[in-house]
Amino acid sequence: MASVQPKIKSKVRCLDGEIGEIVHVIADPISLEVSHIVVRANGTQRQVPASAIAAVRDDSVELLCTASQVAGYPELKREDFLTSKEVEIPHLENKVHIEPGELLVPFPPLEKSCARRNFFAGFIHVIGALIGLPLVWPVLRFIMKPMYAPYDNRWLKIGNVSKIKAEDVGVQFIFKKSFKDSVLEREEDKNHWVIKATPETLKKIYKSGDITFTDEKGEVVWVNKQTVPYVAFSGKCPHLGCGYKWRSHKTRGQVFLCPCHLSIYDSAGTVLDGPAPRPLDVLPIKVSVTGDIEVIDIEYKAGKKELVRIL
Amino acid sequence: MNALLQKVYDFVDERIDLKTLEAKMMKEPIKGGSRWAYVFGSCLLFIFIMQAVTGVLLMFYYIPSADHAYASTQFIIHEVDYGWFILSYHFWGSSAMVVMVFAHMSQVFLWGAYKTPREMIWLIGLGLFGIVMAFGFTGYLLPWDQRAYWATTVGVEIMDKTPVVGDFLARFLKGGPTPGQMTLSRFFVIHVMILPGALMGLAGLHLFLFRSAGPAGPFRGTPEELKAKTDFFFPRQVWKDIVAMAAVFLTICTLALIEPVVLLEEAKPDPGDYHPEPEWYFLFLFQLLRWKAFSGEFGQFVAATAIPGAFMLLLAALPFIDRSPERNIFKRPIALLSWTVVMIGILVLTVSAILNREFLD
Repeated sequence: MASVQPKIKSKVRCLDGEIGEIVHVIADPISLEVSHIVVRANGTQRQVPASAIAAVRDDSVELLCTASQVAGYPELKREDFLTSKEVEIPHLENKVHIEPGELLVPFPPLEKSCARRNFFAGFIHVIGALIGLPLVWPVLRFIMKPMYAPYDNRWLKIGNVSKIKAEDVGVQFIFKKSFKDSVLEREEDKNHWVIKATPETLKKIYKSGDITFTDEKGEVVWVNKQTVPYVAFSGKCPHLGCGYKWRSHKTRGQVFLCPCHLSIYDSAGTVLDGPAPRPLDVLPIKVSVTGDIEVIDIEYKAGKKELVRIL
Repeated sequence: MNALLQKVYDFVDERIDLKTLEAKMMKEPIKGGSRWAYVFGSCLLFIFIMQAVTGVLLMFYYIPSADHAYASTQFIIHEVDYGWFILSYHFWGSSAMVVMVFAHMSQVFLWGAYKTPREMIWLIGLGLFGIVMAFGFTGYLLPWDQRAYWATTVGVEIMDKTPVVGDFLARFLKGGPTPGQMTLSRFFVIHVMILPGALMGLAGLHLFLFRSAGPAGPFRGTPEELKAKTDFFFPRQVWKDIVAMAAVFLTICTLALIEPVVLLEEAKPDPGDYHPEPEWYFLFLFQLLRWKAFSGEFGQFVAATAIPGAFMLLLAALPFIDRSPERNIFKRPIALLSWTVVMIGILVLTVSAILNREFLD
């Protein structure tokens, strides 16, 4: 049977004359066909089953029953129905051509009297949390695994003092550092600067006495004595971690200059100009009798006034 | 053939209501008619799709390891057929994306299109802006050359200065105390998985909200004039969009041909003769950090975190501060002045960063 397509506001005629007009159409959500029309007659709204329809015309519907039979059909209980706008029933509006606001579908009884709606909502959230929360810590630890590596206190040979020809002049020592980077065995070119300091420069560098280096527990790893004229500066600019150079400046003569943000330091590492927050970082240094230079490749956090060791 | 296509169309339509979908997508009325000024959003979508396509292609050869990233990128450039072009397109596409984001945001700002009821579109848009910048930042580490290494080193040091969370954030991104393999792995996964996912989700939301709130239309004209000029998204606006996309495509291709990507030396913690510098769209921020006024720990915080952070917050608060319904930019002197000042500021800082290069060589 082709589905009937009654229209809203169509006149409704019974066997014994016109009794009113259609105000709603009720569809069956499974078959997607019209199951009832709602007829307004004598101030009441009656649910007339589709089986009572004899014919659907352009602006009227004819019924197979009498007016008194219509009065016997149940009255529409609006709260038992939803409009098709309020639910998601695919294809319904294509099958039944009624304005979505006037097309009714039954409110499923289980839903209408769902006394435990709040309970279910709470339950859903709790189960969701029970799935999610236990993952937070393992995932966090998983991601954080490499973030806090222990300090590397190895002594590395970076060159020989014979490379240094003059006092208070920055000399770059490029050396290979091999290390384990997650599972990779890597070797990187690193660089530090060493100066042979004059007593005045030494005084500037060691103005607060010998420099002590400690590990994460605060235990002393090494002390740089101010009697040693060789001073190693970390190749990392304490401003934001670029690599600086020893070069001549128009007005200041020979200086350490960082090309990134233009910080300038003298041979003692003191900031002369630019945005750097602290002097160049001094590294633990050992010079052997043959002149071999060894350093601990300590790294401090850039951009801080104080020294915060990170490696 | 047409009959067959029609059959396929009907088959799909019967099942998923294709006609309604088509109507919703294409028959959106545009108040006051289609305009060239409205092409930027579509262009962004186009650039992103092309970045995704070229990005996926690059991943066929790229190896995200500190030992092989550089060599595999060189392999793409020198050995793989048209590898240089795909990589250069991806490279210039990223710049095009940033330019287009600025154009799109400027258009929305000048047209007053962020005002009620479009505040949420604007907020999601700001999120997308952040994602585009993050794409740039994570992307250029991947070739593992000197530019990559140093831009990342400095960029992460800047993040490290964020109060409270800075140290964690920097270590999280580096995957350790210093840049290395873990940094590359993290940037790689952020660049190829997390950001594309976030961008697709937010861009979808952005479009959905845009369609829900409706386009703002021109800032001048009576309702009658606007109605008289109204047309649908398809075909006139789509036509303008596709012409603009073609122009963008040709521009990127031309740049890729004229100025293909050339890698610097492989990354190492000794910059050698290289003067570290970020990508051009971060130069203004870079130059700001050179100012004496922003020296020291506090100055650095001001320049690197406080100013950009406050600026983004101001943008986010904009539709809630600026509640006047006036959209005509010529009747919003403060808005026009602020936009001009910001643009000139960025331009001046960028140019001075470029001029500074000469003094370094």
